[in-house]
Amino acid sequence: MRRKLLLTLITTLTATGALADPLTDADEIVARANLAAYYGGSDGRSEVRMIISDAQGRQQRRQFTVLRRDIEDAGDQQFLVVFSQPSDVRNTVFLVDKHIDRDDDRWLYLPGLDLVKRISAGDKRTSFVGAHYFYEDVSGRRPSEDHHALVETTDGTYVLKHTPIDPQTVEFASYVTWIDRNTFLPMKIEYANAAGKLYRRVEVFEVEEIDGHPTVTTSRVSDLLSGGQTDMQFRYIKYDVGLPKTVFTERSLRNPPADRLRRPEK
Amino acid sequence: MKSTLVELGAERPRSVYAVVLFLIVLTGALITRIEIDTDPENMLPAHQAERVFHNLVEDRFTLHDALVVGLVNDDHPSGIYNRESLTVLHELSAAILRLDGVIAPDLMSLAEIDNIGQEGPGTIRFEWMMRGAPVTEQQALEIRDKVSRLPLLLDTLVSGDGKAAAIYVPIASKDLSHPLSLEIRALTEQLDSDDAFYITGLPVAEDTFGHDMFVQMAISAPLAGLMIFLLMLYFFRSAQLVIAPMLVAMVTVIVSMGSLIGLGFTVHIMSSMIPIFLMPIAVVDSVHIMSAFADSYSPESDPKATIVRVVEDLITPMLFTSLTSAVGFLSLLLTPIPPVQVFGVFVAFGIMFAFLLTIVLIPAYIVRMKPSALAKLTSRSRTPHTDTLLARALRGTGRFAMRRGKLITTVAVLLVGISIAGVLRIEINDNPVRWFKANHPIRVADTVLNEHFAGTYDAFVVLTYEDGDALPRFIATANALLANLDRELVPAVREALDADTDEVGAYYGALIAAIDDALFEADGQATIDVLGRLMSLAEDAQTTSKYFQRPDVLRDITGIQQALTDSGFVGKTNALPDVVKVVNRELRGGDTADYRIPESVAGVAQTLLQYQSSHRPQDLWHMVTPDFSSTAIWLQLKSGDNQDMSRVMAVLDSYVDSHPLPAGVEMGWAGKTYINVVWQGAMVSGMLKSLAGAFVTVFLIMALLFRSARLGLFAMVPLSVTIVGIYGIIGWVGKDYDMPIAVLSSLTLGLSVDFAIHFIERTRALIKSSGSFMTATAQIFEEPARAIARNAIVIAIGFTPLFFAPLVPYITVGAFMAGIMALSGIATLVLLPALMSWAGPWLFTETRKPGELSVPAPQATSV
Repeated sequence: MRRKLLLTLITTLTATGALADPLTDADEIVARANLAAYYGGSDGRSEVRMIISDAQGRQQRRQFTVLRRDIEDAGDQQFLVVFSQPSDVRNTVFLVDKHIDRDDDRWLYLPGLDLVKRISAGDKRTSFVGAHYFYEDVSGRRPSEDHHALVETTDGTYVLKHTPIDPQTVEFASYVTWIDRNTFLPMKIEYANAAGKLYRRVEVFEVEEIDGHPTVTTSRVSDLLSGGQTDMQFRYIKYDVGLPKTVFTERSLRNPPADRLRRPEK
Repeated sequence: MKSTLVELGAERPRSVYAVVLFLIVLTGALITRIEIDTDPENMLPAHQAERVFHNLVEDRFTLHDALVVGLVNDDHPSGIYNRESLTVLHELSAAILRLDGVIAPDLMSLAEIDNIGQEGPGTIRFEWMMRGAPVTEQQALEIRDKVSRLPLLLDTLVSGDGKAAAIYVPIASKDLSHPLSLEIRALTEQLDSDDAFYITGLPVAEDTFGHDMFVQMAISAPLAGLMIFLLMLYFFRSAQLVIAPMLVAMVTVIVSMGSLIGLGFTVHIMSSMIPIFLMPIAVVDSVHIMSAFADSYSPESDPKATIVRVVEDLITPMLFTSLTSAVGFLSLLLTPIPPVQVFGVFVAFGIMFAFLLTIVLIPAYIVRMKPSALAKLTSRSRTPHTDTLLARALRGTGRFAMRRGKLITTVAVLLVGISIAGVLRIEINDNPVRWFKANHPIRVADTVLNEHFAGTYDAFVVLTYEDGDALPRFIATANALLANLDRELVPAVREALDADTDEVGAYYGALIAAIDDALFEADGQATIDVLGRLMSLAEDAQTTSKYFQRPDVLRDITGIQQALTDSGFVGKTNALPDVVKVVNRELRGGDTADYRIPESVAGVAQTLLQYQSSHRPQDLWHMVTPDFSSTAIWLQLKSGDNQDMSRVMAVLDSYVDSHPLPAGVEMGWAGKTYINVVWQGAMVSGMLKSLAGAFVTVFLIMALLFRSARLGLFAMVPLSVTIVGIYGIIGWVGKDYDMPIAVLSSLTLGLSVDFAIHFIERTRALIKSSGSFMTATAQIFEEPARAIARNAIVIAIGFTPLFFAPLVPYITVGAFMAGIMALSGIATLVLLPALMSWAGPWLFTETRKPGELSVPAPQATSV
């Protein structure tokens, strides 16, 4: 109920035109969207539940906690991802040092094999643990990797078209984003392949204001070719929790920081 | 009744024409609604257990029919691992991906799959195997090194010798195989490459066969018709006269095919042959009538009276030959294969229709002929008919057979003995790819690609685990736990626990999520304790239900794979353990010693979690279901021969006998190659049943017709000898007993019994009319023998155009027709008189009742 109310509030704000004059610079819109989507507060925590469905509706679930710490707004960031469900992958951990000027550093811990591995920078547009989300969707794509063009500005939305600077590194030929003019959150993204065919869609269904930050709480990625989809729920979100640097070290791989992973009080 | 019908034609020819024309227009219009079906799966009824399971497996593991495109480079020292070949492969993959009907996400090619490997110590790398085409030769060789480390790709996507690469093109529907293979062929021709390209795979073979089959129908059937026309023209020397049986044949074919299509049946490979089967049968009766008419008509006689008399004389043997032929084909109903049943019913219908048409249309046609044309007919035919080479030869044959009866009988018995030995040597085998001649591009591709790769034929061993009690047990325990808790406190948990349990994986997933949420919301230590216990209970149950994630179970699967590979009949197997082992090895640093299955369930689960972090996570679900309750072992076979597939099945059966499957695990087969074995098995046993059923029924009809069990048996001699002889030859020649050959047994039965009926019935009539057995046996070798011989020759030679068809089953049918006609002709005209020469009085009771022989002969013989 509370969520619905917030969403309505946001939409109403948008509709009543309590907005500043629209921006016209695509790069600026993208920069603001990048901040809104990935850099809320100076750090944050969130629990993610993914329901991965194939075309037949067969489900797999994943549940993990994401801890994030910004080194600099719109700059380098650190992520610690700790799995809790299903129990056979519990305590599998990803650690990501996201860099703006060079490849990210990524580590992986697999408790079942008692193994810490560094993951080569390689390709970030691979599935994230079998979901229709990509690694890159978790940590965010660098705005500098695409050309951006403002296609349309409607009452509430900026519509932008993005084309990759290096098409060899990605599977898409272009993608279009629908960015909320008020929150600067991308509400829908559609990817087209070289044949010009839409093959992938990201949609945001619910946005809540948490600690003053409009935050996506429900979203979905659809694979339009195979018919599969992944639904994501983000919960127990908190910003500016004061995560220290020490949380984002290799030590946390084998020993996830239990106190930091605990859910915030109701 | 019968004379009314015959007179109807003679009295009201215009009405007869009008009705026939109406039928042609009506059924001819229906033919335009033709729907083609080339799917051998339809050889099994839709509800057949094996077929249902095969389709279930295809859904369960999202398996699609696939074309195999091969690229071969025999010249370059590194085979296909050179810049040009890989660039071409890359371009071709990309182009194929854009074709409509291709299931792009599941296409397998070096350009579309992932590599997992090492990037320095402690660092693992996931990447496209060949995102872009290699720029240097060195990069091409690096791809070779990567592929050599991935057993799932080796011998599947690239041949072990490195000379060939394959693209597996999954397609949305089987009937797209042929058009897509043409499009891909066109794509390869546009490529600037010296490599050789091949396209094969069972779906292409089957769909292309369907396509070629209809081309053949349009060529072979009319050509056979033309040949029959020319031969009849030679025998009867009057185009006008010969047009009549051709009309009968054409109308029969149109009405039969039109009714088949109009009744909503698809035209399958079997029913496509209906015209070819009906044409000779439809002209047979007309030839008998015209033979008799040409011999008995004289310019002085009234054509109407002559034709009515001729038809009335022949109507009984014609009715019975038609009935027995129809029974032969109707017996195909005993074969549990729907297309074969449809074929049998409509051929039988066509035969009876042709009979009716013959006795009505031929008289109508004759009375409409101008007197001058009839006069020409007799003036041309009279002398030649009784003094042709054929006539003289038949007379000689008759005399020889009567004189050397015992010798001929002895030789025949010997030949039958030799034939039976041949029948025992028959190998039952089929393979749709072999329906093409050896030089057909599909056969060539099949040969080349199966030399290089582990095999282009697919079969799947499917293992399914079901512990029916596990879930009820869990729910009972969970309910007991929750009983101590106020149910209002945890409504979502309650709801999840009571939810549908259709899909176990989703059930546990949703329940655990609900418990997890409830744990956060819960107040009070008691509630938290209960929920905590419930959580661990649910997690244990969930882990247990993921049966095929267990290391020991994966090792069992490896055992099955090993046994299959060791048998030597399987090119390669691909299954879940292979994935787990490769990823485990790379996670642990890439050492060969680590090519093994992790020790714990969690180890396996986390290995697979990494495998899923690829560009193609969905590939996992081709091998195991998302709830890990069922897994498929993909077998690549170098041969699609049913015999080879059966051998593989026997190997697995014996392995499972010595290594029983764990409790709760069921094993089943799926895949096109397997389905072909199933329907062929059904066909062979079904055909034997059909043949036996037809044999008995035909004997009963004969005994009834001749009102004599002895003569009934006697009439069975030519067809028995012919069937044994034909199948004996097949056995000795070493031709496999396949679908066309199986079906031809009914044709043999139906056609060879005709000659015997005519021969015996006419002999009997002649004995009655002449009063002398010796006279009768001489006269039978006049007009009656000529009619039989003409029929045999017309049909045998009429089908020689089939020899030039590019499709093997058509050639088989052509050869069979000739063989059946020759053998049953000889059996009737030589063996029957030979038997009569020493058993005549015992067979023909007429010879023993001289008093009855004074009945005047109805037909004035031309001798």
